[in-house]
Amino acid sequence: MEEKVLAILAALNPDVDFTAETNLIDDDILDSFDIITLVGELNDTFKLDIGPQHLLPENFNSVTAIINLIKKLQAEG
Amino acid sequence: MSLTSPVFFLFLIITLFVYFTVPGRYQWLVLLVASYLFYAVAGIKLIFFLLLTTVTTYFAGLLLSRWKNKTRKKWLLAAVLLFNFGLLAFLKYYNFAIAGLNLILAPAGFALPSFSLLLPLGISFYTFQSAGYLIDLYRGKYQAETNPAKFALFVSFFPQIIQGPISRFDQLAPQLTAPHALDFDQLKYGIQLMLWGYFKKIIIADRAVVVVNTVLDNFTSHSGSIIAFAVFFYCLQIYCDFSGGIDIVRGTAQMLGINLRENFRRPYFATSLADFWRRWHISLGDWMRDYLFFPLSLAKPFYKLGKRTRKLFPGKLGKIIPTSLASFIVFFTIGIWHGANLKYIAFGIYNGLLISFAIVIEPYMKNFLQKVQINPQGPFWQIIQIISTNFLVFIGRYFTRAASLGAALQMLKKTFFFFQASAINSGALLDLGLTKLDYLLVLCGSLIILGVGFAQEKGTSIRKTLEQKNWAFQWALVMVTLFVLVVFGIYRQGFIASEFIYQQF
Repeated sequence: MEEKVLAILAALNPDVDFTAETNLIDDDILDSFDIITLVGELNDTFKLDIGPQHLLPENFNSVTAIINLIKKLQAEG
Repeated sequence: MSLTSPVFFLFLIITLFVYFTVPGRYQWLVLLVASYLFYAVAGIKLIFFLLLTTVTTYFAGLLLSRWKNKTRKKWLLAAVLLFNFGLLAFLKYYNFAIAGLNLILAPAGFALPSFSLLLPLGISFYTFQSAGYLIDLYRGKYQAETNPAKFALFVSFFPQIIQGPISRFDQLAPQLTAPHALDFDQLKYGIQLMLWGYFKKIIIADRAVVVVNTVLDNFTSHSGSIIAFAVFFYCLQIYCDFSGGIDIVRGTAQMLGINLRENFRRPYFATSLADFWRRWHISLGDWMRDYLFFPLSLAKPFYKLGKRTRKLFPGKLGKIIPTSLASFIVFFTIGIWHGANLKYIAFGIYNGLLISFAIVIEPYMKNFLQKVQINPQGPFWQIIQIISTNFLVFIGRYFTRAASLGAALQMLKKTFFFFQASAINSGALLDLGLTKLDYLLVLCGSLIILGVGFAQEKGTSIRKTLEQKNWAFQWALVMVTLFVLVVFGIYRQGFIASEFIYQQF
């Protein structure tokens, strides 16, 4: 799962080392356009339904946070 | 009660005294009474509208927290949002709409009456804040406030109701109801922030406005260069007026022990138009992003459109078409919110187009910079970006300041095709309502703001730097600022501090 998420993130911005960043939103590394593209890709890849209510900085600040969100949504079915 | 009036200072001193005298558990009640008193001064009848929004939002909030059925919740949310935004739209746009309708009805001999509607103080700001609260409850972000009086305080908190910042319930409400002991540091920081705000407003904005109004209210008799000069002053005016007002609001709240969010982050250091809007009126931008842009972009029609455009246009363009469309709608909404006038719609389209264009050309720009060996993070390119962003913002300001879209276009035409640089000379400038001393004050004041902004951009905390100085220096600085405000703020004959621009929204 982590590899897939990293590949999606790398397509957004190849210059960022996403494994090391923990403030992707708070430091404006990902802007709102990136977030929408990211959510679209995550929804398609993992068959999720990420909605506006999930778009909180704490869910997207790091790769770990994104994976946790995916796992949570998958568990909720 | 204007933030620059002596009555406000008296009101603030009394509020502070009572607030820090009563037991902590009653402090929020002092704030509630003060907030409603503050509001009543603006117009006692207007409290009706404030109460209408407070009551509908309060009850809808309780139901949204209790109900489990998603469809029911959705309908309730839609109804209450429609009611409150409908009220805002009615009060704001009724006469504009009636004038339009009457034009259509005139040949048939009908005419609908227009009313002189006084817009309730801060209606946009408390409506946005209340709507945000309801949408958060719908999304299950937190539980509803059950105490109606505490909720009423969240909607009406007196310094911020005038012109924001638009706060979030989970950040503001707990601070409003918590007990606050008198803290001299907070008091000091609050006073410093307020003085900084008054400095921007009284020394710069209230001077710049003279040139702006003299030239732009009668732009046909001025050359392009003088118009450009006045629009540049308008940029100064609107920044110092709005951000200065917000500093006063935040400083007032800080004296009460309440931290309100930042609304400006040195926008004139932005390196792109998108960056500018992330630094300007941040609380409105965040509101639009969370409650309009995100839901729109993730809505099914946009999602489907995205799939189609990605097939049609592989690469960046295909990906950003639906998101750009959503951002267009956001800018359009912000434009309409500023006023029922074509010039604001044009302003929205102008920004939306440029931001989308910048995203599309970004990869090409990167390649270009690589080819010509310019470091995109280096100071040279950063300065180029800052200058070009400010230029784009400057052009955009023609739309917001002009009386109409037609006037804005004529002003632009004069600037670009009839510039006449020779028209800018000391004689002409001194004919615009300001003296040499006034110009000097605007220049020095702007340089101070620029210097402070530059230091903050480099990561320096002005507050911490001041803390390291001895108390005599800190005290002297406060006194000098006060002296400057009193002497240069009031010395001009017939000087009356003007109303804050964003108060009218």
